[in-house]
Amino acid sequence: MIELTHFQVLGAALFAIGLYGVLARRSAVLILMSIELMLSAVNINLIGYAAFVDFTEAQRSLGQVLIIFVITIAAAELALAIAIILRLYRNRSTVNADEINLMKF
Amino acid sequence: MASLVFFYFAAALVLGGAITVVMTRNIIYAAFGLLTSLMGIAALFLLTFAEFLALVQVLIYGGAVVIVIIFALMLTRLDDFRQLSDHKGWPLGAAAALALFGLMIAAIVRTPVNTGPREGVSFTVMGESLFQDWAVPFEIASLVLLIALIGAVVMVRRSDPDDGANDDGGPN
Amino acid sequence: MGEANAIGINAAWVIPALSASAFFLIIVLNRVLGYVFPGSRVPSFVAPVISIGAMLAGFVLFWVVLVDLLQNGPGTFSIAWLTVGETEIQWGVLIDKLSVVMIGLVTFIALLVQIYSIGYMKGDPRFGWYFAAHALFAGAMLALVLADNLLFLYVAWELVGLGSYLLIGFWWEKRSAAQAAKKAFITTRIGDVGLLIGIILLFRATGSFDISTIFHVAASGGIGSVTLNTATALIFLGAMGKSAQFPFHVWLPDAMEGPTPVSALIHAATMVTAGVFLVARMLPLFELAPDVMMAVAITGLVTFVFAGTLALVMTDIKRVLAYSTISHLGLMMLSLGAGALAATLFHLVAHGVSKALLFLGAGSVMHGSDGETDARKMGGLRAKMPITAVTFIIGAAGLAGLPPLAGFFSKDEVLLGVWADLNPAFLVVALFGVFLSALYMARVVLLVFFGPLNPEREGAHESPPVMWVPLAILAVLALGVGFLAFNYTTDYQGFAGFMSSGHHFEVTGWLMGLSIAITLGAFAGAWLAYSRNTISHAALAARFPVIYKVLVNKYYIDEAYQWVIDHVVLVIARAVALFDRVVINDTGVDGLAISVRLSAMRTRVIQTGYLYTYGAAMVFGVVGLALIWWIFLT
Repeated sequence: MIELTHFQVLGAALFAIGLYGVLARRSAVLILMSIELMLSAVNINLIGYAAFVDFTEAQRSLGQVLIIFVITIAAAELALAIAIILRLYRNRSTVNADEINLMKF
Repeated sequence: MASLVFFYFAAALVLGGAITVVMTRNIIYAAFGLLTSLMGIAALFLLTFAEFLALVQVLIYGGAVVIVIIFALMLTRLDDFRQLSDHKGWPLGAAAALALFGLMIAAIVRTPVNTGPREGVSFTVMGESLFQDWAVPFEIASLVLLIALIGAVVMVRRSDPDDGANDDGGPN
Repeated sequence: MGEANAIGINAAWVIPALSASAFFLIIVLNRVLGYVFPGSRVPSFVAPVISIGAMLAGFVLFWVVLVDLLQNGPGTFSIAWLTVGETEIQWGVLIDKLSVVMIGLVTFIALLVQIYSIGYMKGDPRFGWYFAAHALFAGAMLALVLADNLLFLYVAWELVGLGSYLLIGFWWEKRSAAQAAKKAFITTRIGDVGLLIGIILLFRATGSFDISTIFHVAASGGIGSVTLNTATALIFLGAMGKSAQFPFHVWLPDAMEGPTPVSALIHAATMVTAGVFLVARMLPLFELAPDVMMAVAITGLVTFVFAGTLALVMTDIKRVLAYSTISHLGLMMLSLGAGALAATLFHLVAHGVSKALLFLGAGSVMHGSDGETDARKMGGLRAKMPITAVTFIIGAAGLAGLPPLAGFFSKDEVLLGVWADLNPAFLVVALFGVFLSALYMARVVLLVFFGPLNPEREGAHESPPVMWVPLAILAVLALGVGFLAFNYTTDYQGFAGFMSSGHHFEVTGWLMGLSIAITLGAFAGAWLAYSRNTISHAALAARFPVIYKVLVNKYYIDEAYQWVIDHVVLVIARAVALFDRVVINDTGVDGLAISVRLSAMRTRVIQTGYLYTYGAAMVFGVVGLALIWWIFLT
């Protein structure tokens, strides 16, 4: 039987994997992909709550509504992130995370 | 029982795709790994009787997001997109990820939630909730999309020299 | 304190003030005139006029003060300067017989020397500064003898040292002159430190710097004997430095590098007598510490004889006179050690006059001999410079102790004091010193003025009047001061009676006869050795080569001092400098700065600039916060 815990653990695992990708990957686009993974992990959690938590149907619908919003915002953020990456690539001819260190001492 | 098998299959897709995204050297593999992962999530939505969301997930993520990402990949790394190594700081990222994972597991274990049987939300109820109770955030979300798109276009626009009619006298 | 005259004791402070103002005035005026008369056309009479004017006024005021003193008795005048806690520091003058005598001596001799210097220093490019330094020195010396509290005395003491340094090193382009000035300053400095510590000890014991207060407290037993002995010993140390007692005498012969009038003033009559004056001033204190008095007497005696032996072998005229000064200062200390204040003072005056005369005469000889000072290159000069010769001989005779010149009576009084107070052995050794002093004086006179004319001195000539007139005045004085010793009226019973009523002049037949005999014997010996060559001194030198070598090398004392400086003082100084550089500067100061910089450099590394670093840090922060919240707050 599937339990809420399955969804929660799966969401946590996907979030951690996405976090590793954000911190360890070199190309900015790959980092962006990892961010999408993290947002998807949030979605998994939300749908788990929507399915299992002991609320009324109307209350449980909030989970799905929130998922809609998360997807929307993810799309918006994706567009802006791509724009930034393109701009960065134009200025520096690189989008590698370890070559962009202007904020250092 | 069958749902458990289905769940593990979907979970395998999700995690397998995610691991591909974060570990592979080939960025095209990474893009397809992302796609796989997102489709696995769509399967999970189906498991919880959220058919509409599964549809949205496939359409938007699979149809738009991954395509855009592949475009971005093409535009920024034309020469060596097959050769992609991680940078030297990856142990730090691994440690951070593991730490956070541990924290979350601990939070999950310690937090009791009242659960009921697995049931979905009917489409009608969700629609009413979205367009009546949460109408304002819905509109705001659409605004956010609009502004983000406009902002993206503005940011990426090349600063070509204008013709004299649009010239405001300053640089760019 | 009686009624003061309109100007009298109350205006005694004007005397040093005039000279001190002259110093500043000369400097300022020369600077101002340098703008008015560009180039080197500043009239050269400005400086001497000002300083001689100040000195002359001081001399006139001396008579006024003397009259006031005789009429109204001793007095003081002071103004409060600043108050520190409960102690009030004052500037004040104390007029009594001692200070009046000193003022008279200093103003008179300074006046004559400055007049003489007009001729001697003519054409020197730093003519104005010479007189400015003279004015500074005279002002300081006068303040010293007038001071009524030890702090003021110490300030004036140091200024006197400064004036001496400036004047000895007047021709500082000459390396030896600069080094001589440095040597004088450093050697007297050692004594000065002792003086300062002594003053502080007395201040701590009595709570005051004022001299009469200190005497009161000491007389009533208010100062512990250990403190008293230590303080007086330290004060004597200061006196030893300034008055060139053994072993601090090394600076005085070298100080002959300065202009000869400077030697006449400073190293005959004034600065070197400051030490004698100090002991004399503090004599009531010394009398309460008999062990220190004995030390004073022994030091004086040793210096008297030691310097006398050295004066015998020196070939430079000025060096002979320098050692003679040291020797007679020793005699004065011996007499103070015997408690004979009046005799000491009388000898101080007589010696001052005679020695100033001798130095000025030597300067005249040098002036007429193109700056030559070596006595072996002279001879028979009495035909060429008669006035100089006569005055010089008078001065020499006075110093050697020929009656009726001043030196005879003063020396006699000193010997009398020594005989009365101290072990007879002291007298015996002192008489040997008297023999030596007559011997070397006669030697110099014979070598320079008598005998055949040295062919190198064909062009020798007499000095201009501006130089021989002071010589003549001093010679007259040297002849006449001796007569101050006698009893004249009921009010004036000899110099001894002048100093302390109740004493008077007596003829001590056997002592006088003995000293006359010694003096004449020394003259005879000198005549035989240097004029007739019957006892050839060259042969004597050959028979006692070791003694001769030791004497000529001044007992190797300078070499010993240099060794100590090189191997002890400089070693310690280098060690301290090393410590200062390595520990304090490099480690302490620089080290702190470097450690701050290094730690900042190490810490800066956290700001890598890479976003993944910052992201990881954020995650760790979140985890950390959650753990803290869980563990500590729930």
